[in-house]
Amino acid sequence: MTADMTHDVVVVGAGVAGSLIARRLTTEGLRVLVLEAGPATPSTFEGYLQHVQTFYAASGKGAESAWPPAIGAPQPDARDLRSDNGYFVQRGPLKYGSTYTRAQGGSTLHWLGVSLRMLPEDFELRSRYGRGRDWPLRYQALEPWYRQAEREIGVAADVADQTHHGIEFADGYDYPMRRIPPSYSDIVLAAAVDGMSVRLGEDEIRLKVRSYPAARNSIPRDGYRPVGAVDIRPDGLGRDLYLGERCAGNTSCTPICPIQAKYNAGKSLARANPAYLTVLARAVASKLHVDPVSGEVRGVEYQRYEDTSSPRHTVHTAHGRIYVLAAHAVENAKLMLASGLGGASGMLGRNLMDHPSIYGWGLAKAPLGPYRGPLSTSGIDDMRGGAFRARHAAFRVDIGNDGWRPTTGAPDTTVVDAVQTRGLYGADLRRYLESTLARQVRFSLNAEQLPSAANRVTIDPRYLDAMGNPRPVISYDIDDYTLAGMAEATRVYREVFSRAGIEDHTDPEHSTWFPEVPYAGGTMRYHGMGHFAGTHGMGNDPESSVVDVDQRSWEHRNLFLVGAGSFPTMGTSNPTLTMAALALRTADRLIAEMGRSSHRQQPYRREQGRSRDLSSGGYTEDRPPEGLGDRL
Amino acid sequence: MSTASTRITTVERLREYLYLAMQLEHATIPPYLTALYSLKPGTNSDAYHVIRVVAVEEMLHLTLDANMLNAIGGSPDLTAPSFVPDYPAFLPDGETDFQVSRQRFSREAMQNILEIERPKQTPSEQHRLVRRSAPKAQQLAVVPGEPSMQYYSIGEFYAEIGRGFRYLHKEMGDALFRGDPARQVGKEYFYSGGGELTTVTDLDSAEVAIRLISEQGEGYGGRIYDEHRELAHYYRFEQLLLGRYYLDGDQPGQPTGPALSVDWDAVYPIKQDARLADYPAGSELRDAAVAFNRAYADFLGLLTKAFTGQPELLIEAVTGMFRLRDLMIQLIRNPIPGLDGVNAAPTFEMAAAAVVSS
Ligand SMILES: Cc1cc2nc3c(=O)[nH]c(=O)nc-3n(C[C@H](O)[C@H](O)[C@H](O)COP(=O)(O)OP(=O)(O)OC[C@H]3O[C@@H](n4cnc5c(N)ncnc54)[C@H](O)[C@@H]3O)c2cc1C
Ligand code: SF4
Repeated sequence: MTADMTHDVVVVGAGVAGSLIARRLTTEGLRVLVLEAGPATPSTFEGYLQHVQTFYAASGKGAESAWPPAIGAPQPDARDLRSDNGYFVQRGPLKYGSTYTRAQGGSTLHWLGVSLRMLPEDFELRSRYGRGRDWPLRYQALEPWYRQAEREIGVAADVADQTHHGIEFADGYDYPMRRIPPSYSDIVLAAAVDGMSVRLGEDEIRLKVRSYPAARNSIPRDGYRPVGAVDIRPDGLGRDLYLGERCAGNTSCTPICPIQAKYNAGKSLARANPAYLTVLARAVASKLHVDPVSGEVRGVEYQRYEDTSSPRHTVHTAHGRIYVLAAHAVENAKLMLASGLGGASGMLGRNLMDHPSIYGWGLAKAPLGPYRGPLSTSGIDDMRGGAFRARHAAFRVDIGNDGWRPTTGAPDTTVVDAVQTRGLYGADLRRYLESTLARQVRFSLNAEQLPSAANRVTIDPRYLDAMGNPRPVISYDIDDYTLAGMAEATRVYREVFSRAGIEDHTDPEHSTWFPEVPYAGGTMRYHGMGHFAGTHGMGNDPESSVVDVDQRSWEHRNLFLVGAGSFPTMGTSNPTLTMAALALRTADRLIAEMGRSSHRQQPYRREQGRSRDLSSGGYTEDRPPEGLGDRL
Repeated sequence: MSTASTRITTVERLREYLYLAMQLEHATIPPYLTALYSLKPGTNSDAYHVIRVVAVEEMLHLTLDANMLNAIGGSPDLTAPSFVPDYPAFLPDGETDFQVSRQRFSREAMQNILEIERPKQTPSEQHRLVRRSAPKAQQLAVVPGEPSMQYYSIGEFYAEIGRGFRYLHKEMGDALFRGDPARQVGKEYFYSGGGELTTVTDLDSAEVAIRLISEQGEGYGGRIYDEHRELAHYYRFEQLLLGRYYLDGDQPGQPTGPALSVDWDAVYPIKQDARLADYPAGSELRDAAVAFNRAYADFLGLLTKAFTGQPELLIEAVTGMFRLRDLMIQLIRNPIPGLDGVNAAPTFEMAAAAVVSS
């Protein structure tokens, strides 16, 4: 073990939650160390391009295909789901179908970028509908940080499209960039679907195809400058690449946007104040040391490796006044449990949620032009809220722009089918493909899942990774409330298809493999959305929650657990924007508190003039700052 | 050597200068695009991105010039017959001029770009202009009305434009800026690097635009890093030639960062300053080259519209550059029959495009 370092704040994890906090704290002159388990390759443009190449070369194009993990920081992969032979130990009864990425930048490296706010009613599910729980804060209380998050992440949308279900925006506010133009298929579907109504119990719901807020660069509003590709070079300085300042419709947002028009957390880290930031990549936090009397955290033990293909590592400890776990909902829980900090409430690791999702796919009468533009640009949000939530789950519809790719492996499988099964070749083959591929439509229907204590992350000394850290052991089920919502979603998409003249070709028996769940005498096939939440839920009561409304641990007062793990419930919105708003709120709390209680420390290094907003760079471990490097 | 007649004293003259400035900025784009797409895919990403960034910047300069020209009631026409020069063209470089060619990525091509990116300041007021003993047809930055005189450098050319703005503003006040503000192209329409794009409506904004154009390439106050701690483009190119990265604090010409590798051979061996006549009549290459020229003419047409009242068309024009790239690549990856190991290249002959498409 080597000598210690002291910092104001030690952040574990350079994903979106950790990076936003690091940026905000360093901007205020707090000294922040970020420990990142994965490699730092995505932070240089050259390194990022290697990942693009990895993606090109990969035979399967799943969410992880551009981001192969290091031996020391393994990660789940959708391909392991069927074989049950991956990083997760799946205890069942159902499989947890989602993944995340352990590399500097975290899961936003491969996310799609849908950045919806939660509905006001999502924060009050218990009081309004007698289900789930209430949040310890209301929509209105979080609203200012939603605005800040939309600016930090760079969200493109028009407020005019987004005011539904009581979502309110501050007066005069609009998103930093105009909405991404809807795709041709969005426009055609809207013409057919807008105004039709469906019934959910007593509720009669009118549908509207709506463009959704996306963390993709588009035309900026008043003075906002879109943040493009990140390139932090050997000198620690950023480079302006003039790349990715607009989405160019490359259609590979997941797993990798080749030009970085889509937000990834590296952009926030690159805009932190480098004078106050130290990032150590390839540093896996493995244990928290806690003072047995006060309960305060005294240090984070971490394992440092050089070679991503070897488990060899050295062990170190980092010290700060405050510790922030931002390692992802599953890894936060795992790290706490591995440190023996399961806690008195017994809630840690429990209430794991996702948005179990089903696909519906079909053929339109006329070409809709799929396989172009962002993977998805619009959805149907009208079933996200309403009285029916007392009985079954709410759901959201995503309309794909990528044909049947996620459901059947099209276009490749369409070609194979045409040649091998239908025996087509030459002009006939061409005609057939042109007509079939261009008419493919795909919906993804994502249902809300409520917190359940039985759905949980645990650890088991029998299941360790190559460096001796526990692998997540996951117990997961989908209850009737959610299943009923998924069944309603199935009914609704069929009505929409028939209204729009789309021939239903949904056939889970002849598609990409997805896990199944029995329901009402039949089975449904579902997939995960990557929306892990709930493992360290927030609340007003230490007996039933792990953190308070500031994401501060009830039992360890200098420890914060941030991310979607803090969500008491998750509604139907993709979690990242809300997690970002909460992270910024936590950062503001920390600034207020630490600014008061301490004298400011010296920066790690000379401040080289305030760097321009977009292109300054934080140092990475490959070039440690003077004076600090020799102590590592 | 300068005479009174070479000073800008009328609005008409200033418009002429600004139009020539647009021609000048544009003239670098075909060489940059040619060098860029001559790189073999998957190689030389440093070189690729450096060239790409400057090409984007030339587009930015072109747009700024259009804004200035529009501000004083002029009307840019990028489809005019001689707007695109025949290559090689000649840019001023102090006492001499240098040749700008459409050629593949190479040390010479990089040297060429370095020369474009390094504006020279005249040693004295008398040297603002240089007489070329044998004026060449494709000489850029010549003095309007004095074809045998060329500006000492692009920087001097812009310095005269700045002086002209100030002079005329003094003479006529804000009446100088009589153009329709709706013709100004704002940052929302510029794809990338448009953060700096400024609309021009008065003397201050005109001076901002000129400063931006003349400072972008050369570095800030002689330092290799600018105030934003960004490496000036000149030095980014130089890194390629010197094979090493700069670190902050380095002396010009002596980078001390890690080695940088450039694969000078991973380049398609294209014909320098190729012309339609290089491709046999009726051949696929000829058709492809004609198709490219037509597409390029369309691109310039769209830019002209964007610069004359429909700024939103700039978005479409830039999106259309993907098509230009694909058409260029078709040529660049194919050998010219009969010429051993020499590949085709786009010819940028706009006159030919006009004839063919009319
Ligand atoms: C295919 C896919 C698409 C998605 N699309 C969307 C979408 O459209 N909209 C949306 O809102 N969300 C989406 N998500 C979810 C989104 O990616 C996550 O919610 C979000 O990235 C989580 O952020 P985080 O900061 O909590 O965790 P992460 O982004 O996972 O970051 C955690 C970081 O901590 C590091 N780390 C982990 N363990 C340790 C350790 N022990 N020590 C040190 N560091 C550690 C990791 O390497 C990582 O860098 C998607 C997810 C997937 C899988
Ligand atoms: S469509 Fe493309 S350019 Fe746009 S965000 Fe997705 S991958 Fe990036």
